[in-house]
Amino acid sequence: MSDLKPVQTDHASHSRRRFLKVAGAGAAGASLLTMLDARQAPAQLKGTTLRILTWSHFIPAYDVWFDKFSGEWGDKNGVKVRVDHIPHLEIPARMAAEFAAGAGHDIILNNSTILARLYYKSLLDLTDVFDGLGKKYGGWIPAAKSPIEVEGKIYGIPMYYILLPMLWRKDLFEANGLKPPDTWELARVAARTLKPKGNPCGIAFSHCNDANLVWRSLMFSFGATETDPSGDNPTIDSKEMREALRFAKALFDEGMTPEVFSWDDASDNRFLASGIAGWIHDAISAYRTTESTNPTVFKNTYVGLEPAGPGGKRVHCVAPIVFLSWKFSKNPQAAKEYLTALVDADKDGMIASTGYNMPFLNDNAKKPMPILGADPKLQVLQDFPKIVAFFGYPGPYTPQIQEVALQFVLPDIFTRVARGTSVDDAVKWGSGEYKRIFSKHKKA
Amino acid sequence: MTAPLGGGSESRTRAAAQPISVRSGAARWWRTNTSRRLAFGYMLLAPAALYVLLLVGIPFLFSLYLAMSDASVGDQVSTFVGIGNFRAAWEMDTFRDALRNSIVFLVVAAIFKSILGTSLAFLLLQNFKGKKLVRALVVIPFTLPITVSVLSWKWMYDSQFSVINWGLNKAGLIGGYGSESWPIWLGQPHLALLACIGVNVWRSFPFSAIVLLAGFTSVPTEVLDAARVDGCSFFQRFRHIVTPMIFPILIIGFLFDTVFTLSDLSVVYVLTQGGPGSATMILPMLAYQIGIQAGSLGRGSAIALMLVPLLFPALFLMLRNIKRRDW
Amino acid sequence: MTTAAVPRTHRQKEIRRHLLLYAGVTPFLLIAVFPIFWMAVTAFKQEPDLYRMGNIPFWFNLPPTLKNFETLFYQTNYGYWIVNTLTISAWVALITLLTAVPAGYALARLKLPGAENIGIAIFMTYLVPGIILFLPLSRVVASLGLQDSWWALVVVYPTFTIPFCTWLMMGFFKTVPMEMEEAARVDGCGQLSALVRVVLPVSLPGVLTSVIFAFTLSMQDFLYGLAFVAPGDQKPVPVGVPTELIRGDVFFWGSIMAAALLVGLPVAILYNFFLDKFIQGITGGVGK
Repeated sequence: MSDLKPVQTDHASHSRRRFLKVAGAGAAGASLLTMLDARQAPAQLKGTTLRILTWSHFIPAYDVWFDKFSGEWGDKNGVKVRVDHIPHLEIPARMAAEFAAGAGHDIILNNSTILARLYYKSLLDLTDVFDGLGKKYGGWIPAAKSPIEVEGKIYGIPMYYILLPMLWRKDLFEANGLKPPDTWELARVAARTLKPKGNPCGIAFSHCNDANLVWRSLMFSFGATETDPSGDNPTIDSKEMREALRFAKALFDEGMTPEVFSWDDASDNRFLASGIAGWIHDAISAYRTTESTNPTVFKNTYVGLEPAGPGGKRVHCVAPIVFLSWKFSKNPQAAKEYLTALVDADKDGMIASTGYNMPFLNDNAKKPMPILGADPKLQVLQDFPKIVAFFGYPGPYTPQIQEVALQFVLPDIFTRVARGTSVDDAVKWGSGEYKRIFSKHKKA
Repeated sequence: MTAPLGGGSESRTRAAAQPISVRSGAARWWRTNTSRRLAFGYMLLAPAALYVLLLVGIPFLFSLYLAMSDASVGDQVSTFVGIGNFRAAWEMDTFRDALRNSIVFLVVAAIFKSILGTSLAFLLLQNFKGKKLVRALVVIPFTLPITVSVLSWKWMYDSQFSVINWGLNKAGLIGGYGSESWPIWLGQPHLALLACIGVNVWRSFPFSAIVLLAGFTSVPTEVLDAARVDGCSFFQRFRHIVTPMIFPILIIGFLFDTVFTLSDLSVVYVLTQGGPGSATMILPMLAYQIGIQAGSLGRGSAIALMLVPLLFPALFLMLRNIKRRDW
Repeated sequence: MTTAAVPRTHRQKEIRRHLLLYAGVTPFLLIAVFPIFWMAVTAFKQEPDLYRMGNIPFWFNLPPTLKNFETLFYQTNYGYWIVNTLTISAWVALITLLTAVPAGYALARLKLPGAENIGIAIFMTYLVPGIILFLPLSRVVASLGLQDSWWALVVVYPTFTIPFCTWLMMGFFKTVPMEMEEAARVDGCGQLSALVRVVLPVSLPGVLTSVIFAFTLSMQDFLYGLAFVAPGDQKPVPVGVPTELIRGDVFFWGSIMAAALLVGLPVAILYNFFLDKFIQGITGGVGK
């Protein structure tokens, strides 16, 4: 099983040599060394403290790397760094508490639930850092600004995102003469063929993050949109949306079992690891879970690009991971330096995450990417950066969309259709919910 | 028991010599020396009252203010909106579902807890070998930290690996995985709510049983024997003697359990997050979603505060009953 | 009737009675205990063992392992969590005793004007849900400089243990006969001494009950711990387990179960010891 080791980074006892030995890859270590040298922070940081709140990454080794990196950076700059880990779903509550208290961490990570637009009046303006990094690394991907830009200023630094590719059982597909699931129609045919043989597919129809992401990928790939580019008007009431819903209903009827109504984010991991799944469309963590718990299945599990919709469009909705910093932080200078250093070490972070942290910067997304470029099964992941989008596509990631996501309105629309509500009724209900939520957020 | 203060033999002779007047003087102490008694009393009361007033009362008032404003988590400035949040909440389908579910949850859970708790209490009242062991084991669900036990139930209700389903399947009561009769505990709306209620009942029925047991054992046997001699049947004894005597203890237990059940977030949060649809959405979960996760503090507080009126009727009924019976 | 026949029928009756009782008790035992048993087995299972459809959940299909416990102790802060939980609960119990016992006495015995209303008001604070309170409380915690220390929880938990224990103590104190106290007063005790020397010893079971309820209630909390304590080594068990043994969407089930067992069983044992006193006490109090 994977390791969980948390590293107490208060102790400044790691020597750079030891760190490099542990980190393994000589080249990566050397480049890290160079980067650390290059980013030696100014002297006034010495003796200060930096507190970072981040999530518990599903790859424990990444957290080990992260804690070590932060400790190293702290040692180098004379800053006492402390890293705390909590589950990403709990971060909003923690942020609310820190805001109410007017005190807390200097840097906080947001995963999926990006609260920059909610708290922007109390967040550090990071536009200079953002622009600087963009210039250095060939620009940010187009979607990067969406969650963090308010009134022209940037209030967070996007760090990485996690993909939810198609994970399909090549052995089962081949045994049944099925083509790889490159389009949604092919995926549906596969599900239809495999379900009677005891290998249904599965996508969660429930209140979980996967449901929010996957159904959006589906509808965006079918040409539907969530809001207009301004972000002010929901646009889910469309022909394409209805088509996507009809497809989802057919997919459920033909290829899935009712257990998908009870799924949480981890259920599809288990579904795949147990060997039952014909295919799932899930966070890449499932791939890793299967590796450790069911090597046979793992060998036969292949990774696929986001299936194309009927019009050939591919859009992949992902959850961004963004770092924010409070205005009331006592160490904004260190925070900015740290974030810059962290982005500089992006490639190392990606390696530490065994290839799962996808970069926001264009240069880092160039092929071959670390780990992904080398692993034949994972190479296809390199094609994702071109097609990623966030909640609200093509509009920005606003607090209204945030609330829509937190209330799982979109998965509920799909669930209703799967359970037998007519497509028109479901769309009508969904539009009503969107309008109601959007109207709540109209401030004078 | 305790040695008398202020010179042993002297005071005892004093007491012996003037029993009546001194005793009535002592009795009158409860009515005289008012200011000293009051001062003493309020002094004893002060720490608890202050603690609760400062750390609960004031935040509660603050939450009332929030409920009537359009505050959001990130905004220092908010405007007064009166009952706008309450009205907005009422218009939400999900809110009405949450309200209904909260009430259903409370009532169904209470019924099961009463039945299970009472039966278990009766059983534990009897004498049998190994009673202490049984009592010790049966209490464990209540002593496990709630987050951990709910997590375990999540796995026990899993759509694929459910232990319960496995057991039912082996006993021949349901079909295998993938069949029509394989229950998806957290996926079918009514089952999901039942599943959540089940966890709550599982956790709390030992508590009910113990409270009842304590109550039962506190009824003096002479009274019960006298009633039996007089020809009262078991149920008559139960209704007319036992119940009134244990009523105060019952009420306290019942009230606290009610409050806990209505305001508990952990079961639904871990098991279903309110889904599927809004089948298991309850008021605390909705308040958390809207108030904290979505950041609309005003509306979230309004929803959370809707819990309080639910408890008032029960509260007043009970308290009126307590006042009537001089306990 | 011979003397030999009577004891035999009596014994038969006893056996039958015992069998009936055991039959009656078994379902309850099963309901209460089977999840615990299952948790115990899972704690020792290897991870792949959990993910096979054909496997028996109640026994080992792959050989048992101590790995989950190792992970728990060496790769998380579990040791800290246990110590924190015990320390926090002990402090909370102490604070609760110092505040709720006197308050319960004052409300139950001293016929203070407005006693009932004050009692009701204290109970009403229990009705306020934690999700409302935790935001203003976080400001309190921060201004006390206790943010991210388990002391924050020591300050905050009494907000729900005090109301409960005050009412509990009120109930217990009402069962102590007035005559006892009056006798002490006759013998010249001051108000305070009467309380300490006479009433308290009799109500010791009630006090102990308050202690265990304070303990149990402290272990019910998740939200406050989450909001106020982020560092891994400051968390109590009920917060540490869901936050560090669930990473993204990967649950470390074996370790979660191990964590549950290690903290749940000792508490259950402790609880049982006090339960005896609790029940004795209620009986005793009225009997006198």
